[in-house]
Amino acid sequence: MNILRWWWSLVLAFALVALVRVFLPLPFANEIMIFSIYTIGCNFLLGRVGFISFGQPAYLAIGAYAAAFYFYYFGTNPYVGILVGIAAGIVMSLAVGPMFVRLRSDYFALVNLALAVIIFFLMQKVLADITHGDNGLWFLTNLSPTPVLDLTRPDRFFIFAFLVGFVVWAFYKYLDDSIYGACCLGAKINDDKLRFLGYNNYHVRLLAFVIANTTTALAGAMYAVYLGFVSPEITSPARAADPVVVTILGGVGSLYGPLVGAIAYTGMKDVLSKVLGNWELIIGFLLVLIMLAGEKGIWGTLEPLLKKAFDRILPIGKLSESEGSNR
Amino acid sequence: MIDAQLLVTGLIFGLSLGSIFFLMAVGLSLCFGLMRIISLDQLLYYSVGAYIAYSVSVTVGNLWLGLLVGMAVGGVAGLVVERVVFKRIYERDITFSMITSFGILIGGVGIIKHFWGVVPRPVAVPIDAQINIVGTVLPVYRLVVIAIALLVYFGIWLFLNKTIIGKAIRAGIEDVEHVEGLGIDVYRLFSITFIIAGALSALAGGLHAPLIMVDPQMGLEVLAFAFMIVIIGGLGSIKGTLVSSFLVGQVVSIGSLIYAPLAQMAPFAIMILILLFKPTGLYGSPLLKR
Repeated sequence: MNILRWWWSLVLAFALVALVRVFLPLPFANEIMIFSIYTIGCNFLLGRVGFISFGQPAYLAIGAYAAAFYFYYFGTNPYVGILVGIAAGIVMSLAVGPMFVRLRSDYFALVNLALAVIIFFLMQKVLADITHGDNGLWFLTNLSPTPVLDLTRPDRFFIFAFLVGFVVWAFYKYLDDSIYGACCLGAKINDDKLRFLGYNNYHVRLLAFVIANTTTALAGAMYAVYLGFVSPEITSPARAADPVVVTILGGVGSLYGPLVGAIAYTGMKDVLSKVLGNWELIIGFLLVLIMLAGEKGIWGTLEPLLKKAFDRILPIGKLSESEGSNR
Repeated sequence: MIDAQLLVTGLIFGLSLGSIFFLMAVGLSLCFGLMRIISLDQLLYYSVGAYIAYSVSVTVGNLWLGLLVGMAVGGVAGLVVERVVFKRIYERDITFSMITSFGILIGGVGIIKHFWGVVPRPVAVPIDAQINIVGTVLPVYRLVVIAIALLVYFGIWLFLNKTIIGKAIRAGIEDVEHVEGLGIDVYRLFSITFIIAGALSALAGGLHAPLIMVDPQMGLEVLAFAFMIVIIGGLGSIKGTLVSSFLVGQVVSIGSLIYAPLAQMAPFAIMILILLFKPTGLYGSPLLKR
C-alpha cells in the first residue's frame, strides 16, 4: 500500500497523458511529451533551486546536435544517439556548471542566455562546415529500425517518449521527496541556513544544474530522433523564453506543472497561430498576467482545488493529504 | 595583417556600434541600479524607436524628427509599463521582474508585427556626406552617432551630479530606504528613471535603424549584446556601461575584420573571463540585497 501511495499520482497523471494521445493527433502528443521533458529541467531549476534559466535552449541544442552528429557521421541506432545526447549534456553542464552556479541568480540568467546565443552562432556560422549552417543536418533516412520499440515510427516513438517521461517524472518526484530535494529548496530559500546545517551549497547547486540540463539535453536528443533533422533554429534567441513561459504557465516548482504547461502552450500555439498568426502577443501578455496574478500558473491554481475535490469524492484523496504533510 | 585604413574604419565602426550599445544598455543598467529590477522591456523601446524613426522618415522625410518622436513614445511607453506593471512587482524577487519584462518584450514584438508586418524595412541614412580622415573615407553619420552618445553620457552625468533629482537617484542607487526616510517619494524617482531609460533606448533604436534593417526581431537580436554589456560593465554602473559598450563594440568590429564568425563569440569569451576574476563586472558594486 505504501508503494501505491507514492506512485498513484504519477500513474494518474500519465494515464491522463495517455488519454491525450487517444483524443488528439499523434504529432501533438509527441510534441507535448518532448516539450514537457524539456521544461521539467527548467522547472526544477527555477522552482526548486531558484535559478532562472533563459539558457535552456543551449543545452537542448547540445543534446540535439550531439545526437545529430552521431546519426549524420557515425551510426544509425536511435537509442545510441539518445545516449550520446545525454552524455553530451552531462559533459557540457559539467564544463560550464562550476563557473555558472557560483553566480548570483540575476547574473546566472544573463550568462545562460548569452550562452544560448553563442551556441546559436557556433552552430549557425562558426561550425558551418560540419553543421551545414542554417540548412541544418538531415538524417531521417540514416536512422535504422530497432527491434523492440521502433523509434523511426512516430506511433512507436510516442510509446518510447511516454516511458521516458514516466521515468523522468518518477526520478524528479523521488528528488523532491529526498533530502537532496530539501537541500535544493534550502539553497533557494535561505542559503546561509543551508550552510549552517553543514551542506555545501555549491555542490548542491552544481548537482541540480547538471541534473536539470542533462534532462534538457535528453529532450534535445529526442527532438533529433523524432524530427530527423536539427537546425540552429532550436536555440535561436527568440525561443529562449519558451521553457520559462511553459514553466510559469504550468506552475513554478510543481511536479506536474510542466506537463500541464506543455499541453496548454502547445495547444495555444497550434490554435492561435492558425487563427491569428500572431501568438507572441498572446504569449507575452499571458506571461505578464500570470506573473501579476501571483505566478501560480495553471497547475498551481488547480492543484489545491483538485485535492479538495478528491478529499470529498474518494478516500484515496486522504493519501494526497498525508503525502503533503510528509513533505 | 590588416592595413591601417581598414583598421581606422574598423575602429570608427566599433565606436559607433558601441555608442548605440551604450544608449541601449544604459536604461537596463539604471533600472537595475535604482530599482533592482531587470527591465528587458528596454529592448522593446529600442525596436519601437527604430520603427517610429522609420515611419516618420518615410512620411516626413526627416530622421531627426523621427528620433524625437521615437524618444517621446519610448518615454511614454516606459512610464505606462512602469505604472501598470512594474509598480506591482517592486517588492518581488529579481527573477520576477525578469520574467515579466520578458513577457512585455515578447508581447511587444507581437504588437510591432501587427502594425508594421514582418518584412524588414530599410531606413535611409540622413547624412550621406563622407569625410576624409588621415586618408580614410568615413561616413559622417557614424561620427554623429558617436557624438550623440558622448553628449548623452555627459548629459546623464550632469543630471545625476548637478540636479537635485539626479542626486536623489544616485542616493537611491546606494540605499533606497534611506532616501525614502528623507521624505523623498522614491516611486516618483522610479518613474523618472523609467522615462529616461525608455527614451534613451528608443534613441538607440532610431540611431541604429539606418545602419541595419528594421525588423520585428531586432530587439531580441541585440538582447544578448545588451546583457553582455551590462554584465561586463557591472549592473547599475553608468561608467561601466560606457566602457564595456565601447569594448564590446570594438571587439565585434575589429573581430569581424580578422575572422567574421569570431566577432559574435568574442564578447562572450570576454564576459566569461571578466566574470571569473570579478563576478560583479568591471565597475559593479557587491549587491545589497533588498
